[in-house]
Amino acid sequence: MTAVLDLRALSVDLPLGGFLTRARLPILCDVSLSVGRGESVALVGESGSGKTTLARAVMGLTPISGGSVFFEGQRVDGDLARLRRNAAMMFQDATASLSPRLTVGYLVTEPFRIHGLPLPDPAATARDLLARVGLPPAIARRYPHELSGGQARRVGVARALALDPRLVVADEPTAGLDVSVQAEVLNLMHDLRAGMGLAYLVITHNLALVRHVADRVVVLYLGRVVEEGPTARIFAAPAHPYTASLIAAEPKPDPRRRRADLAIRGEVPSVLRRPAGCEFHTRCPLVRDLCRSTPPDLVPVGDGRQARCHFADQRQDKQGERHAVDHR
Amino acid sequence: MSCADETSLGARRGIGRALLADPMGLAGLVIVVLFLSMAVFAPWIAPYDPIALDVKAKFQTPSAAHWAGTDHLGRDLLSRIIWGARLALGIAITSVGIAGGLGLILGLVAGYGPRWLDGLLVLVFDSMSSLPMIFFALAVITVLGPGTATLILVIVLVSFPAYARLIRTQTLALAGADFILAERVMGAGTARILLRHLLPNVTGPLVILLCMDIPVVIMLEAGLSYLNLGVKPPAPSWGNMLSEGYNALRQAPHVVVVAGIPLVLATLGFTFLGEGLRDVLDPRGAGRRWG
Repeated sequence: MTAVLDLRALSVDLPLGGFLTRARLPILCDVSLSVGRGESVALVGESGSGKTTLARAVMGLTPISGGSVFFEGQRVDGDLARLRRNAAMMFQDATASLSPRLTVGYLVTEPFRIHGLPLPDPAATARDLLARVGLPPAIARRYPHELSGGQARRVGVARALALDPRLVVADEPTAGLDVSVQAEVLNLMHDLRAGMGLAYLVITHNLALVRHVADRVVVLYLGRVVEEGPTARIFAAPAHPYTASLIAAEPKPDPRRRRADLAIRGEVPSVLRRPAGCEFHTRCPLVRDLCRSTPPDLVPVGDGRQARCHFADQRQDKQGERHAVDHR
Repeated sequence: MSCADETSLGARRGIGRALLADPMGLAGLVIVVLFLSMAVFAPWIAPYDPIALDVKAKFQTPSAAHWAGTDHLGRDLLSRIIWGARLALGIAITSVGIAGGLGLILGLVAGYGPRWLDGLLVLVFDSMSSLPMIFFALAVITVLGPGTATLILVIVLVSFPAYARLIRTQTLALAGADFILAERVMGAGTARILLRHLLPNVTGPLVILLCMDIPVVIMLEAGLSYLNLGVKPPAPSWGNMLSEGYNALRQAPHVVVVAGIPLVLATLGFTFLGEGLRDVLDPRGAGRRWG
C-alpha cells in the first residue's frame, strides 16, 4: 500500500538577503518521512526546528530546494492541484486563517467553489459541515471575528474536511485553546479519523498531544530528523538524548520524578552557525569527543525506529536496564 | 464568479449609525447629500437657464427674483451655482473614481504580482508623483487644449499613484497573512484571492482617501477654470464665476462672495465626511478629534 504522503530527502533553503550574494540558509536538510493511509504522525521539535516550514513546503507554500514530495504515490511537481484538492491544512491561528469579510457559511463551502464542484444548496452543505464538527447552523451567518477561539478552530476543521481529504496537515491544532477546548478538538480529530480513514501530520511541541493522537513521532532538531519511531516506544525509551531531554522537560504531575540529569541546557544554536559534528553536541548532556568532530547518520536502532546518535545503541541497553529497575 | 448567494461586504454593520452619531460626520453627510441632490436635480430646481443672458439685469444684488443676484451678463447666480455643482461634482467624482479604480487595480497587481512587476509599477508611481502637479497640469493642458476631458485626464494622472501606493502597501501586508495562505493551500486561484479575499480588505482606507481628495479636485478644477485653463467659459463652473466676479469686484462684490460660498461648503462637507468615515472605519487611526 502506498503512503498518503512520502517525503524523500526534502530540503528547504531560504535566500539570505545579501546584495549580490547567492548565499542560502538551509532550514530543512534531507528530511524523509512518510504518512500511511489513516495514520497519524506527529512532528515535534523546539521553536525554530523547521516544523512549520515543513508543513508549508508539503503544501507548496514554500519552494523546496531538494528532494521530493510524493502524494499517494505520485510526485508533486509544480502541479499542486491534486494535492490541494485531497489534502487540507489547519493553521496554528485558526481565527487568522479565516478570510475576515466573509461569513462562516461561505468560508466552509469555499473549497467546493474553488474546485468547481457541484454545490446545489450552499446553505444545506454549510449546515452539514458545521454539524459534523458540532457547531449549530446559526454560526453560518457569523463573521470570523465574532467566533471564539474554539469555534474558529472547529470552523477550520469543518473547512479542512469539506472535500473529504485523505490527509490533514495540522499546525499546532491546540495552540491558544484552553484545556477543555483542546480536549474537544482532539476528540473531534480522533473521531473524524476513525470515521473517514483520514491521515494526519500533526505539528506540535506539545508532547501530551503527541501521546494522545500520534501513531508515530518524528523529532526534528535544526531541520534534521534526529529520531523517528512508534510513539509508545519513543516515549518509553528515547534513543536520542534530545528526545530524552524533551520528554524530561515535560511538566509531570509528580515533580520528584523529573530527571535533572537530562535537563536540556541553553538555547537552540542559530541555523546561521550550525555546530560541527553532531549538531546537538553543544547541548547534549552525554557529549563525547566523537560527537564534536563527526556528524552521525540516521540509523535503525530496532523496534522500527531510527536515531541520529553515535551512541544510541549503548544507551538503549542502559535505559532498558533503568526501566527494569523502575518497575521493580 | 457565482457567489451571489452570500454577501461579502457589509461585515461592518452600523457604519451609517456610527457616522450619524458623530457631529462632524453628520454635518459632512448633510452637506454632501445637499450638493449631490443639487447636482442631480439641477434642471428642475434651478430657477433660470444658467447661460441665458439678460444684460439689462446685470449686477443685481440678491432679491426676490434673483435670490443670489446676477453677474455681469445678467445671468442668475443661484442657477449658475446649482448647475456649477453638477459640473464640479461631476468632474471630481468622475476623475477621482477613475483614478481610484486605476490605483486599486495597479496597487493589487503590484502588491500581489511578481517582484519584477512590482518594481516596475513602483517606478511608474514614483515618477508620476515626482512631477509637480500644477506644472504638469499646465503642460498637459497646453498640449491637449483646455476642456473638461483634459481636466479629468490631468487629475487622474496626478492622483492615481497615491491610491495605487496605498493599495499596494495594504496588499503587501496581507499577502502573507494566514487567511491568504489558507486560500492558497485550498487551491484558490490568483483571481479569487485578489477579488474575493484581498479586495474587500484593502478598500476601506481607499474610500476614505478618495472622499478626502474630492475637495482637492474641486479646488483644482476651480483653480484651473479661474485661470481659464479648465472648463470653457460660458459653462457655469464655480471657478469661472470667481474669475468673472473678480473682474467686477468693485462694481459687484457679491458675485465673488456668492461664487465662493459653495466652494467652501463643498470642500468642508467632503472633508468632514472623509474624516468621519475614517474615524468610523478605522478606529485605530489618528484618534478622536475631540479630545
